[in-house]
Amino acid sequence: MASGDAEVSAIVQLSLCVSTFATVVSVLIGVPLGGLLAIKRFPLKKVVISVVNTGMGLPPVVVGLIAMLFLSRNGPLGFLGWLYTPAGMVLAQVIIATPVITGLSLSAMQSLDRKFYLQMLTLGAGQWQALWVCLKEVKLSILAAIIAGFGSIISEVGAVMIVGGNIRHQTRVLTTAVVMETHMGNFDMAIALGLILLSLTFLINIALTFIQQQKAQTE
Amino acid sequence: MIKLRNLDLRLPSGFALAIDSLDIKEGEVFAIIGPNGAGKTTLLNVLALLRETNPGALEIGGANALAAANRTGLRRSMSYLFSRPYLVNDTVYNNVLLPLKFRGERDAGRVAEMLEIFRITHLRDRGTGQLSQGERHRVSLARAFVTRPKLVLLDEPFSSLDARVKETIISDLGRITRAAKTTVVLVTQDQEEALALADTLAVIKDGCLLQRGEPQELFSRPASKDVADFVGVETILRGEIAAKSDNLCSVRVGGSTLEVISGCEAGDKVLVCVRPEAVTVSKAAEANSMRNHFRGKIVSIEPWRLEYRLSIDCGFSLIVGVTKRSLDEMGLKPGDEVFASFKATAAHLIRR
Repeated sequence: MASGDAEVSAIVQLSLCVSTFATVVSVLIGVPLGGLLAIKRFPLKKVVISVVNTGMGLPPVVVGLIAMLFLSRNGPLGFLGWLYTPAGMVLAQVIIATPVITGLSLSAMQSLDRKFYLQMLTLGAGQWQALWVCLKEVKLSILAAIIAGFGSIISEVGAVMIVGGNIRHQTRVLTTAVVMETHMGNFDMAIALGLILLSLTFLINIALTFIQQQKAQTE
Repeated sequence: MIKLRNLDLRLPSGFALAIDSLDIKEGEVFAIIGPNGAGKTTLLNVLALLRETNPGALEIGGANALAAANRTGLRRSMSYLFSRPYLVNDTVYNNVLLPLKFRGERDAGRVAEMLEIFRITHLRDRGTGQLSQGERHRVSLARAFVTRPKLVLLDEPFSSLDARVKETIISDLGRITRAAKTTVVLVTQDQEEALALADTLAVIKDGCLLQRGEPQELFSRPASKDVADFVGVETILRGEIAAKSDNLCSVRVGGSTLEVISGCEAGDKVLVCVRPEAVTVSKAAEANSMRNHFRGKIVSIEPWRLEYRLSIDCGFSLIVGVTKRSLDEMGLKPGDEVFASFKATAAHLIRR
């Protein structure tokens, strides 16, 4: 990448695009879902929370396999035509990151006294307004959930390999490229790509952590 | 303002709150007192529409409060203060502004007015993490009143405050509720707080409303032993009315006879209630207009808030409240013989 290799740059860009987009989608689903699970009382709540917690440990390879079966031509989502496309890879990563972000958001919200939510309702907030204020109260923990969600997919290889197929110029991302170069015996290239992945993960996490700690200091 | 009918709420814990009828008038300060676990907060949560109450009927300001469509609108006409002020992690100004933002309003003038009324203008830009407990309560009150609510629900809002801070906040609260003619429902265990604010007082125990009425009426004329216990009647004696002339009843209590003005009839078995502050004590017999005079021996002297409680054995046990000054002036100590007196109107009879 430092030498200006266009192919490596494209791989890095695709890695970032797929994982960032998947994280955004997972945040949009997982944060409100975690918040609602924390504040709402409904039958089988404990069962639903157990399912979310189990989802936090989903093996990416299994997710990839199931996503591939769903997206294959004869699968229920075959009409989307997402198999071996970045869209399919995003879908697989969303399935991996959403339970992580949901579970950690749920845990963050449960650390807040439920009466805080009720207080917002009694001050005239609608349900979503009250949820938003509560989420803002635990924003540092929500940021930690986002960091964990992003971390779980940027370095993930199994799902994107199966759903994306590691197709050159189309679905090859850093993790799948490292696996391929290793299999081909190009250890120098594999190590270089690995270092790029490591650096990116480190830089993104350091940026998010910096934001988190800055917020912590101002509170 | 509030009409509650046939409330029969059963919680998963097994606790049941059953109230046949409760009416709270507009502009009234209605205090609910009762021991821990009596159902006070549960009742307040029902009024705040935080709990389903089926079956039953609840009207607030003429609207059916149980209809889901009315819920947000009604909530926006009221404010609820929990015992702990739940402030958002922001400035004082933004906290007070919050209820207005929920309603899509941004009336800075109203916020400034509330900060002024509750004497927190100087804290306007301070973060809530830097406030004292008393200041947090003031912010919470300013936030509750910024929307000019028709109904304010207070759940032991001053329980964590020291006496001096509590006094000034209660005084400010009384001033603003009277000025704005706000209906207030206050839940408290503090009888002095209830007396200072309430127009009407209700006693609740084990999920049932035992009695309601004007505070002085409740404190001096409790309808049952449970109410008497809770409103600070410390002498409760079992007796029987031996004779009655006009409304003056002669009540036999053990070997003694007490004279009490009451509507009870001769032959009724009764409980005689005497408040500690209704009894005077002296070292020598005094001629006065009181109908009940008893000679007795001080059994114990216990401190109670800023006063002392004397337990006197007069053939029955009589609890008397005296100030520290009176205690010192008379030089009273356990074992001393004293004379205790109280008026026939100062005692109250409950049929049993």
